[in-house]
Amino acid sequence: MKKHLMLVALVSALALVAASCGGDEEGGETGPTGPTAETGAGVTQGGVVREELTDFGFTGAFDPTGEYLGTAWSWYQQMLIRGLLMYPGVAGEEGNVPVPDLATDLGQVSADGLTVTFTLKDGVMFGPPVDREITSQDIAFAFQRINTESLVAQYGNYYCGTIVGMTCDAKSQDEPIEGIETPDDKTIVFTLERPTGDLLYRLAQPATYAMPPEVAGCFDKAGDYGRFLISSGPYMFMGSEDLDITSCDTMKPIEGWDPDSHMYLVRNPNYDAATDDVRDANFDGWTLTINTNLEDSYNKLLNGELDLLHGAPPAAILQQYLTNPDLQDNFKSEEGDRTWYLTMNLLVPPFDDIHVRKAANFVVDKAAMLQSTGGPSSGLIATTIEPPSVLPDLADYDPYASPNHAGDVEAAKAEMQQSRYDEDGDGVCDDPACDNVLMVNRNYEPWTEYTPILQENFAEIGINLKVRELEVGTSYTTIQTMNNLVPIAANAGWGKDYGSPYGFDFFLFNTAGLSCEGSVNYSNVGITEDVAKECGDNVVDAYNAAVEANGEIPNVDADMEACVATPLGPEYNACWAALDQKLMEEIVPWVPYRWGAANIALGDTVENYTFDQSAGLIAYSKIGVNNGLTIEEVTGTA
Amino acid sequence: MSQVTDQEVVEATQELGGAEPSSSIIGRTPWQIFWTRFRRDKVALAATGFLVLLAIAAISAPLIADLVGHGPNDLYRETLDEIGLPTVGPSAEFYFGVDTSGRDVFVRTIYGARTSLTVALLATGIAVVLGTILGSLAGFHGRWVDTLISRSMDLVLSLPVLLFSIGIAATCSITAEGCLGGLIEPGVSLVTGIIALFTWPYIGRIVRGQVLTIRNKEFIESARSVGAGSGRILFRDVLPNLAAPIIVYGTLIIPSNILFEAALSFLSVGIPPDTPSWGRMLSDAANGQLYTVAWWMLFFPGMALVLTTLAFNLVGDGLRDALDPRTQVQG
Repeated sequence: MKKHLMLVALVSALALVAASCGGDEEGGETGPTGPTAETGAGVTQGGVVREELTDFGFTGAFDPTGEYLGTAWSWYQQMLIRGLLMYPGVAGEEGNVPVPDLATDLGQVSADGLTVTFTLKDGVMFGPPVDREITSQDIAFAFQRINTESLVAQYGNYYCGTIVGMTCDAKSQDEPIEGIETPDDKTIVFTLERPTGDLLYRLAQPATYAMPPEVAGCFDKAGDYGRFLISSGPYMFMGSEDLDITSCDTMKPIEGWDPDSHMYLVRNPNYDAATDDVRDANFDGWTLTINTNLEDSYNKLLNGELDLLHGAPPAAILQQYLTNPDLQDNFKSEEGDRTWYLTMNLLVPPFDDIHVRKAANFVVDKAAMLQSTGGPSSGLIATTIEPPSVLPDLADYDPYASPNHAGDVEAAKAEMQQSRYDEDGDGVCDDPACDNVLMVNRNYEPWTEYTPILQENFAEIGINLKVRELEVGTSYTTIQTMNNLVPIAANAGWGKDYGSPYGFDFFLFNTAGLSCEGSVNYSNVGITEDVAKECGDNVVDAYNAAVEANGEIPNVDADMEACVATPLGPEYNACWAALDQKLMEEIVPWVPYRWGAANIALGDTVENYTFDQSAGLIAYSKIGVNNGLTIEEVTGTA
Repeated sequence: MSQVTDQEVVEATQELGGAEPSSSIIGRTPWQIFWTRFRRDKVALAATGFLVLLAIAAISAPLIADLVGHGPNDLYRETLDEIGLPTVGPSAEFYFGVDTSGRDVFVRTIYGARTSLTVALLATGIAVVLGTILGSLAGFHGRWVDTLISRSMDLVLSLPVLLFSIGIAATCSITAEGCLGGLIEPGVSLVTGIIALFTWPYIGRIVRGQVLTIRNKEFIESARSVGAGSGRILFRDVLPNLAAPIIVYGTLIIPSNILFEAALSFLSVGIPPDTPSWGRMLSDAANGQLYTVAWWMLFFPGMALVLTTLAFNLVGDGLRDALDPRTQVQG
């Protein structure tokens, strides 16, 4: 109980700190505002929120066990399904702090920090056609699915190795987990391998949300459950009541979601608002339609045919929103908890030399890159790895400061002079390694706008970038394949999994993030000879050359382990802040250039606009819409 | 042997003891006949003049850039507003305005001509050589040679061009050296190769058809009867008769290849981003409806593309009219 109180106190303290630090630097909004901002009590009930998207982009076919797309996490949490914990659906630091949902509170932690017990609320039901009360076994089953190898839980690493008995390689989702007990229908007990400071964040992730075994248990391949998702939140897929669950063989995909065209949600008749302290659930329905023509979507929004759109608008339309007084209030730019960066490969010349990497940090004109992305509405200039909304301790930290963030060529040359690639000491690389240095980039704006800026910037210190602009998926697989030995890349960005520094950067710099194909530790921080040997002779050669020239590749695994074991609170943040500074000054794998904003464009029909910081999207659970439409009218099924 | 000139007819007539030709009849070479006809086509002449000027401008691009004072990749970011949109349209400083990187659109349009002409002419040249050789072999030898080459043409024509191009470009883009040990590298050479690869079958088919017709003509039979070998017949008798259709078709295929290059560049396939190209400039202008706030980004490279392809088409038409003996010439 004492531990429980401490956790609550820590979370509350974090929220208070967040609230005090919550003022945005760039005019982002932190409270309920909008074209028709109103208090929650006065929000119109009913109506249908109409939205379009260019592509679903799901990574796990919308099966919560494997789905890794932040947008999907928002839809699960805000509208569709419920778990022990969730995020409150508000802006700022407070929005990144878990709150109880199915659980009556934030759990009770044993004195040794190894056992956490949750009690479930009464009266929370699964939607049609399951129509029964949610029990602790439904939560345990979600963890069994995470633990099942064939279901490919894409962030299973948060649980496997942390909860006793979870290894993520179980052969069946029916296998119970040793470290999860359900002594009765309302109680669930987790036993941990080690104290885990941010466990609450991990338990707020949608893969852990309640799942009915009688339906989800029918699907043992990754992603298959996505089209049969059973609701426990205020909304469900349109047509859920028609799902025949008399056996696994009788189930046909629910009509409300077609991966090629749409997702339609209607109210879940079994939802009881009295069991929910977070969701207001003001509207009656939500339609998301795929439209690959972004300009067309914005034209529809401006014409009143849609109610909202997420993402950055095309430049010409952005200009309208920023300059037309009638539209300015309809465009929102919020802290997106995402860092965009150049990644430099510690194995590949000339970036194997830390002075070259530091020179790169000095020479890049971050202001020009922000301007090319749409200016302040697209985010803030990044000065370190973790965005301030995730790690406020470093809000003023800028180890490579330059006037107006436009780059400091002299400081860059001073660093280059110290590298072994500048033999004549003039601050300009004179080694052949600086000629035709491959840089991978994306092949669409704003990335294509970065190309001339970066080529000009790097030319100042003698690095001639040979840029390859690729389709986004190809650009990622290119830098994720270790034996491609890509020296530098501008295509990558990283958003938080959850609002803890661990959730933000663990895999980016930990050796756990290294793999021959699919590596996310693009810079190869901490790579060893053994890993290099697995990935090819050219990687071994590069590793040996880098080690011979620079010594062992720096490793931060131990630093991360120490931070993970630290309880949440100021010490936890300080630990990660120190690690961030170590990365920026002693290892320098990145040139962070922008903390990306979340852009939302609203129609005049949206009420009680609220931003969900955890998801980086509008808080669907809070907003209302006054278009007076019915789902039948919108979908043409009347 | 095969191209019998007016002069040869006169001489042959004299040798055979024919009547002295009238002094009013002047023998003309095929070139003279062609030029007489072509110069009467004012539109084709004007188009030729445009292309000559364009070629001069393309060759002189660095000189023009020096005169203007702006390089093709120089960034004038002060010409952009806070959200990166160009604020300077056509003006005394920037004749065609600036793009979203603050680069001079006029200078880039001139440099774009280099890319378009280089790729189109090189690709067309390669395609013409390949198509002529393989088409001739297929048509002349027939049998399994014809089957092999014709089916190869069918195979190439059945490939999805854009997907294939994107695939090659992506595959060869993951290392600085390109692929196949640096043999194929993204850039002008790759785009040229791709266009040539997908263009030669069109010429090959035309050449094959022409050869099939010619090889049965009497003068080929005559050559065979006096003991001429296949090689001699092919190169001395058949190929010279293909000159006119090859020139005409080659000229007409150039604008297609310019558009092909523009399409590939529009899709960001192949041409490096720091090499100005009309297709890429159009892609930049179309992105995010930029043309609605910076019309010059679309207009000038678009006009350059339209005028150039139009000019090549007009020249091609003029050449066809001038080289085709069935064309009636006025005056």
